[in-house]
Amino acid sequence: MWAYQKRLQYPVNIKKKDLRMAKLLVTQYGGSNGELAAALRYLNQRYTMPDNKGKALLTDIGTEELAHIEMISTMVYQLMKDATMEEIKEAGLDPHYAEHNKALYPTDANGMPFTVTYFATTGDPLADISEDMAAEQKARAVYENLIDLTNDPDVIGPLLWLRQREVVHYNRFKELFEHYEKMYNGNSNHMNNTNNQNTNNTSGNFLDSMSQGLNNMSQFLNNFTQEM
Amino acid sequence: MYSYNDYLSNDYLRNTTPSMMNNNQPNLYTPEEGYNKGNLFSDLYQGYKDYQPVKLRATNEKDALFLELSRYAFAAHELNLYLDLHPEDTTMLALFNDYRTRANQLMMDYESKYGPLTISSDELSNSFSWEKDKWPWEGGIS
Repeated sequence: MWAYQKRLQYPVNIKKKDLRMAKLLVTQYGGSNGELAAALRYLNQRYTMPDNKGKALLTDIGTEELAHIEMISTMVYQLMKDATMEEIKEAGLDPHYAEHNKALYPTDANGMPFTVTYFATTGDPLADISEDMAAEQKARAVYENLIDLTNDPDVIGPLLWLRQREVVHYNRFKELFEHYEKMYNGNSNHMNNTNNQNTNNTSGNFLDSMSQGLNNMSQFLNNFTQEM
Repeated sequence: MYSYNDYLSNDYLRNTTPSMMNNNQPNLYTPEEGYNKGNLFSDLYQGYKDYQPVKLRATNEKDALFLELSRYAFAAHELNLYLDLHPEDTTMLALFNDYRTRANQLMMDYESKYGPLTISSDELSNSFSWEKDKWPWEGGIS
């Protein structure tokens, strides 16, 4: 289950309404590369991950994405809340007003409602995790497009921060992908992981083996010291 | 840049042993710099154009405590994601536990002074203050 904390993961305090930006930004809520798609994608894929590393990482990143939905929703809400009817019409948000008044609704920047067809689950960890890596890169690219489209520092700050989270998540998924690649195909030597050594590699990873050996030794000494 | 060795020599792991040091340790920012940047791992940081991350500052005591809580909770979360893939890394585990403990303490300090952030807070024992004060989308720290 989940427990809510009554706080944003990173502060959002937008002082100037901007209907045009609200209309564009909403895509990171309900668009194909948005935070809602990300949360559902990871939380849905986690059940069939082959080991606990995958189950843990998808649970924890999926949970963080829920906090990002809250940040993006907060930004859209604050950009829209003081809008007059004239401003709503001028920004082309009158169709939104007709359906939803000033309430939030997950759509992309063109007003297309959110759909679960934005993400996939194949049950194959290599396919699923490489989709997750691509999703993080696409979300990063969209954050950059959105940053290009505004000059309000109150909007740029949180967007830069969310963009950086995509960078971190991409790298974690990449590590997990390499771990599974090694597990299934035995052809990757990127993970320095004491649980998953593959000594059959033939392609010049002597240094990796060395550092793995040193790791194991320091682990052993550490355990030994703790037992004393 | 703040290296893990600086952290060790300052205020941390006074009863550790050299064998805990490991040549594969990632380089970390401080919780403050990492939180500003949205990334605790300096080797993974990627800026965008010439944009600089906001240097978050608090203007009053309440916001200062909230900001400190946000920093340590973020740093612990970053190490959580790392440890998901490296559960055997005892050095990062120790650091995670340090940040986690600080974040928990800051959370309790904040709640006792300014009201509950979670529904499990002890601050609810006398009155149901959960629905008081602003909700997160109504404005946080500036």
